Amino acid sequence: MLTIDALIRNMDSLPPFPRNLVALTQLLDQPDGDVDQVVALIQYDPALTAIVLRLCNSAYFGTASPASDLHEATTRLGFNGIFQLVVSLGASALLRPAQKGYGIEAGELWRHSVTAALIGKCIAQERNDNPSLVFTACLLHDIGKIVLSRSLEAQYDQVLAETKRCQSPMVVVEQSLLGFDHAEVGGRLLERWQFPPRLVEAVRCHHDPGAGGEHARLAAYAYLGNMLACFMGFGCGHQALAFKCRTEALELTGTIAEDIPRYMTNAFYALGDLQAWLEIHS
Amino acid sequence: MPPPILTGFPHRVVVGLAELAVSNNPSSILTTYALGSCIGVTIYDPVVRVGGLLHAMLPDSTIDNAKAQAHPGMFVDTGMAALLRAACQMRADKRRLRIYLAGGARIMDDQKLFNIGSRNLAAFAECLRQENLHVNAEQVGGQVNRTIGLSIETGRITLKVSGQTQEAVLC
Repeated sequence: MLTIDALIRNMDSLPPFPRNLVALTQLLDQPDGDVDQVVALIQYDPALTAIVLRLCNSAYFGTASPASDLHEATTRLGFNGIFQLVVSLGASALLRPAQKGYGIEAGELWRHSVTAALIGKCIAQERNDNPSLVFTACLLHDIGKIVLSRSLEAQYDQVLAETKRCQSPMVVVEQSLLGFDHAEVGGRLLERWQFPPRLVEAVRCHHDPGAGGEHARLAAYAYLGNMLACFMGFGCGHQALAFKCRTEALELTGTIAEDIPRYMTNAFYALGDLQAWLEIHS
Repeated sequence: MPPPILTGFPHRVVVGLAELAVSNNPSSILTTYALGSCIGVTIYDPVVRVGGLLHAMLPDSTIDNAKAQAHPGMFVDTGMAALLRAACQMRADKRRLRIYLAGGARIMDDQKLFNIGSRNLAAFAECLRQENLHVNAEQVGGQVNRTIGLSIETGRITLKVSGQTQEAVLC
């Protein structure tokens, strides 16, 4: 029987999550993110520095006079701006390819993930929660799909038949065919990459936030970001909306169902920035 | 040197989230991608060959009148009114309209707490009732994303469901 760890170990072709980005996520656990610490982490990576400078001076992020060095760029963008930019750079290489097992075409998972991240950030800002933490949890919530897609590819017809026959959530189909689901695998992958426990748990429980223990609130944000992205047409792959309603996501984030339409209209404006984010790549 | 002329090629007009478009250009194909719980409505008058497409996100504009004014297509009620008005200004006749509906997908929500898709469909039905109009065909509900297209020349509607590679002709 295939185990999750064996599955992840076998993913030789999986690009590694850049080490300095993992270190960057550790800064989220500190009360006040410090721009100097961000600079210290990325300044010895010339390729990353060049990309950050290019993006900082691009039409979307840019100002009248271009930033000439990394410190100036990070000061302009602030901790949250630079953090979200750099973590998106790291995630884009992983999330852009097609995931055939799920019927996801190239670029679709990336678009879904960025949308969920922008929506989650929008709600977090209104709720006075850490926007970069929520952005990251939402951005990475489906990372397990890049591991499971290959396993499901060979069984894709079975996946389709099973979801049609049982009208089951996708995570249930994954569990019945493979013994585990993409949320669990995503959590394990982040754990192996030494992400902070709160992000590991948020990704692991994004379809069942109530199971997230002390990190249930962050998992609830990942659930809401995912759900609203799907509502707004940014879901992807076969049976994109085949997941359970989790009312606890509202209680955990201190929101009510009547707020959902308002979050969607606010997110509509936040998504005006979507194209700039989608173009982020290394 | 004469300027390049593009003829004989279909002109695909992409209608984005919360947008609507109306055309009487026979080379136009109005398309909207990935409806999710939003609804996509096509209207078509085969006599004057005027067609329109709406991609509405939420049922009811009363939650935010300012946003409804800026983006009437965001809501089903204001979006349908604007779509019908624009088509009639191009000499479409409401009585001749062929109306198709797609989208309104939902998550597995027994408690109907997150039922935006169902509420969009109900709002659409109410709009048609008020206008004394009827829908000719629909592909709604379920857990899938749908993409819909309307050819202004023929009135043909195409539909693609996420995860499937083939586009189907709805009518």
